[in-house]
Amino acid sequence: MSDSLTREEVLHVARLARIKLTEEEIEKYSHQLKTLMDDVDKIKEVKLNSEERVITPTEEVTVCREDVAGEMLDPEEIMINVPNSNGNFVEVPVMIDE
Amino acid sequence: MYTKTIGIEIHVELKTNTKIYSNSINGYGKTANSNVNVVDLGYPGTLPTLNDAVIRTALKAAIILNCDINKRMHFDRKNYFYPDLPKGYQITQAETPIGVNGYVDIDVNGETKRIRIHDIHIEEDTCKSIHYKHHSFLDFNRAGVPLVEIVTEADMHSAEEAMAYVEKLRELFLYADISDCKIEEGSMRCDVNISISKTDELGVRAEIKNIGSISSVGKAINREAARQEELLENGKEVTFATYRYDEKKDETIMMRVKEAGNDYRYFPEPDIPFVELDDEIIKEVTESIPMLASERRKIYVQRGISELNANKIIQNRDISDYLNNFLDTDINLVQASNLLLGDISAYLNKEEKSIFNTKLDTNKFIDVVNKLDKGEINSKVFKDILVDLMEKEDSVDEIISSKGIKIISDPEELKKIVLTILENNQNSVNDYKNGNERAIKFLMGQIMKETKGSANPELVNKLLEEELKK
Repeated sequence: MSDSLTREEVLHVARLARIKLTEEEIEKYSHQLKTLMDDVDKIKEVKLNSEERVITPTEEVTVCREDVAGEMLDPEEIMINVPNSNGNFVEVPVMIDE
Repeated sequence: MYTKTIGIEIHVELKTNTKIYSNSINGYGKTANSNVNVVDLGYPGTLPTLNDAVIRTALKAAIILNCDINKRMHFDRKNYFYPDLPKGYQITQAETPIGVNGYVDIDVNGETKRIRIHDIHIEEDTCKSIHYKHHSFLDFNRAGVPLVEIVTEADMHSAEEAMAYVEKLRELFLYADISDCKIEEGSMRCDVNISISKTDELGVRAEIKNIGSISSVGKAINREAARQEELLENGKEVTFATYRYDEKKDETIMMRVKEAGNDYRYFPEPDIPFVELDDEIIKEVTESIPMLASERRKIYVQRGISELNANKIIQNRDISDYLNNFLDTDINLVQASNLLLGDISAYLNKEEKSIFNTKLDTNKFIDVVNKLDKGEINSKVFKDILVDLMEKEDSVDEIISSKGIKIISDPEELKKIVLTILENNQNSVNDYKNGNERAIKFLMGQIMKETKGSANPELVNKLLEEELKK
């Protein structure tokens, strides 16, 4: 078993995360990600008592919220936390692959 | 000869007060970013709270589509990075959609065809983005709006079948109060998958995203099939990709090569525990389904309304709901539907009003339909009093007398007029007696002219026939 992910695998993950990596980073992450993957494989070995899929820490089922409106933010409040805005809109770099 | 194979995915915005995972208002067309809270923006530390009305509405849709219901379901995260989704994932249903293995029956060229539904699942809408050359604008009012996505099997083989399916789904959801289904405003969005092949093996498919109207669904399918055929005939291959349809140019344009499904790294949403649908909620929701369009159409036709008019009524939900108030009364439904589709619709369209926002309450409507039916007023008088009927609280009788309209229903008075007209039109009387039955219409017209349209037409007809037979 290799001790690193392939260069293609790292670049693929980087593309999904929409981040650019330097050559140095590709090398570094190929090892780090492999360690992570191995840890996940270890978790898979854990023997479970139940066949049932566990998706949340609780065994309770969802209690739904009533369909009644609550408080909302002012557009001005929203714009404080965004890098760029234009009037009431949030402005982002052009989205090309729409 | 190539065969087209078509599957359709439709996203429908659900008609609820609030969003799916937050309690901000689900409203379209408001000031940008005014119906938004911290959950919709994906702020750190926020958690989704599932809206009861979304579950009930989606369940209703699944029942109408004859699906098997997943009585224990969960949500899944679909991960991808895009500015319209600040959390970095969409909460959707991948493993346990609320409904599976359903069907819809459509009618094409007089034949009924069953389209199988693969699944219907619940998910959140993303924010709306408006693109300019150097930047894009985001409006989060749409972020978190509840959607259901309905996925068919690849059961359709022509543009006509695809259009009939979309129209049928729209009609079902509109009448079940699931969505307002406005394709132009984006509350119903169609993605069409199409491939062509000469053999039993399916060809490579193209996905055409977000087609803007039902007629465009048909045009886009025919255009894309022609494009694929040209490629194949020239020894080229179809690219597995996403396209959009440019209506003005009648062209399908490639947007992106499709990502593989596992790139979305789906996993169960840990912030929403399992949702259980017991028999009681399924029963409640089933019983809440109002009379659907096909049932209404059947009743209208049984009650003597033409198929054409029945369809026209169905196309206007308000008119259909209004007419349904009278199904258990003994008014003349044909007369009633003619009024609703004719002068009343013309008035409503002109004023851009719903019939429920007028003063024409059910008692008044019954009264005026009966008066027309018995010939106490004619269609000319109806036109004269229409605006007052719609805008004034007064009763029909009050409106008629306030207009100075007098209806002559006194047999003695009318008889005098009839005799005068007959005397002055001996030629027509002879024509009638010689077998020309149309002469009676001319005589009728003369009487109406003489009385300025105020004679009770039924009575005049009766008197005329009596006199002419003497």
